[in-house]
Amino acid sequence: MPLQALRTVAKPQNGVGAFILQCKRIDLHYCDWAGSSKGMNDFLRTTLPAFAKQNPSIELSVSPRPGRHPVIKGLYINGRQKAICVRNMESGEILRKVELLKAASGERLRRERRPVKSANESVRGVWDPFHGHKYRI
Amino acid sequence: MKRVRIERIASQLQPPLRLSLQSCPFTSQTTAPRKELQRRQYHIQRQWQGQKHTVIGKRRASNVVAAEQPESIDDSASATLFEDDVSVRPRPPLYAPSYKKSLHSAKLAALHSRLSLPSKLPLPTLARCLIDPSADPRPGYNNAPFSVLGQDLLGYHTTEYLTCHYPRLPMSVLFAAQYAYVGSAALANVRSEWGVEVVAAPGQEVDPGLLQLKREVPGNSLAEGTDRRMKDMPGVRKLGGILGTGRANAEWNYRRGMSGRVVHDDEFGDLQSGMPSPDSQPYPGSALAESAALGGETTEDGFSQLTPADTDATTVESASASFVRAVTGALYLHAGASAAKGFHRDHILSRHLQLEKMFNFTHPTRDLSRLCARENFEPPVARLISETGRLSRTPVFVVGVYSGENLLGEAAGASLNEARVRAAGQALRSWYLYSPPVNDVVLPSDVEEGKGGKVWKAQMIDVGEIVT
Repeated sequence: MPLQALRTVAKPQNGVGAFILQCKRIDLHYCDWAGSSKGMNDFLRTTLPAFAKQNPSIELSVSPRPGRHPVIKGLYINGRQKAICVRNMESGEILRKVELLKAASGERLRRERRPVKSANESVRGVWDPFHGHKYRI
Repeated sequence: MKRVRIERIASQLQPPLRLSLQSCPFTSQTTAPRKELQRRQYHIQRQWQGQKHTVIGKRRASNVVAAEQPESIDDSASATLFEDDVSVRPRPPLYAPSYKKSLHSAKLAALHSRLSLPSKLPLPTLARCLIDPSADPRPGYNNAPFSVLGQDLLGYHTTEYLTCHYPRLPMSVLFAAQYAYVGSAALANVRSEWGVEVVAAPGQEVDPGLLQLKREVPGNSLAEGTDRRMKDMPGVRKLGGILGTGRANAEWNYRRGMSGRVVHDDEFGDLQSGMPSPDSQPYPGSALAESAALGGETTEDGFSQLTPADTDATTVESASASFVRAVTGALYLHAGASAAKGFHRDHILSRHLQLEKMFNFTHPTRDLSRLCARENFEPPVARLISETGRLSRTPVFVVGVYSGENLLGEAAGASLNEARVRAAGQALRSWYLYSPPVNDVVLPSDVEEGKGGKVWKAQMIDVGEIVT
């Protein structure tokens, strides 16, 4: 057999073709009684409908959580969750937190040591001593 | 003294707890519901049917639901009911969420928007694409028809891309590249990257935005009532892929060459399963069956009698693949060929695949010398370009394979022989992965697009693979 093939699977590159927003669901929990949920209740009444309209790809779920601080949880495509407690926040602050959840990728927050990640090797090639100018004494 | 709850704000309401009146098709006892429950069931269905034409928008999701033959669970009950209202036909049983529910599902709407699907593709069709045949065996209600069409479309676009951009790619690598782009494993990854979750078990109460299938029991799990693993039980596993391959010779050691794969096997060069053998009976409803049957029933197909309890379980991977194919097929039907092609480009071709890593040579030096003889090049000669550390523990030899004065390929190795062989492999790779200039590449489907279509240029067709 002259040639065999090695089977593999193509790797995804989100954004090169289609862009898939990584945040697929946001749960919003509020409380009718707790004072810390006042801003949250305002947010749900006033700001959330516009946000939902602007982001149709995010599934939003609003449910009461009586006796608890208000919290927003984002569920991501990689299966991870991010939760932010929005106690005593105003409507604008909560909107910023919701936008933060929307813009996140779902990965853990970690310090990136290498600035550039690429699936391709270098374009001009990595230097090696075997090609090019030879050192002569 | 409860305060008014904040409702109807977000995209999804908390669904009320509704007890399903239909018996679960997966229970071992398949007893028909009592008459009282039946009457309520038909009453609800009739109400639903009355609202159906206003709730579902102008664009019809599918014509099959309207044209489906009526089924009755209990003949006596249905006779009394339908005498009252002649215009109402008995609705077929639902094994998956109804189309009305699909319009109110936040998950489904979010998926539609996340994929940037055009509004021409309605939500009920997308809901139908999520129903695997193992969840509902009736072709009018599952994604099987779309999946067949979508598989052909995806395979066609991938093949034309590969053959036009890499005309010299050998058949085995072409099969492997096709699998890497649109095989089951790749499409299963696509499904999980789209954020589509899978149900634990199908039913009428699940969210329409979930992928519904009857999940196959894993081989490592314990069989019910025993302490033996499923994989250890004789007769449970099928005989490889040999059954239903469509090949004449099904012995396990019969030689399967590349040309044979092109003729008999599927688009990835793998053995097929489930193909009908030459002496099998025609499916009920086919022209042959109806002509043979004497006074047989005029049902449209034999699938109406099947329930999900009769279907085979599938793996999540194969159901995911059929879902992705079904979306492509549905997109083609609703939005046209260019929309399906753009979908393939955005989700499949945008993926990264290194073709140079998919070659596995056994005798590259021999293949290269055959190639040079065929192409009337001067015979290949390996020459040492540079070296270091010959007598040390880690020598490096850089060898180039030359045809006359032209360098065909070069590589480094830890010994002279290794470097020579690697260089020959590199030369062969550079031959096989030749790609014509981008301006000269015109895909056949580019020409077919009406006004914006390109002008056809004859594409390079290679002489063939190297014969050794």
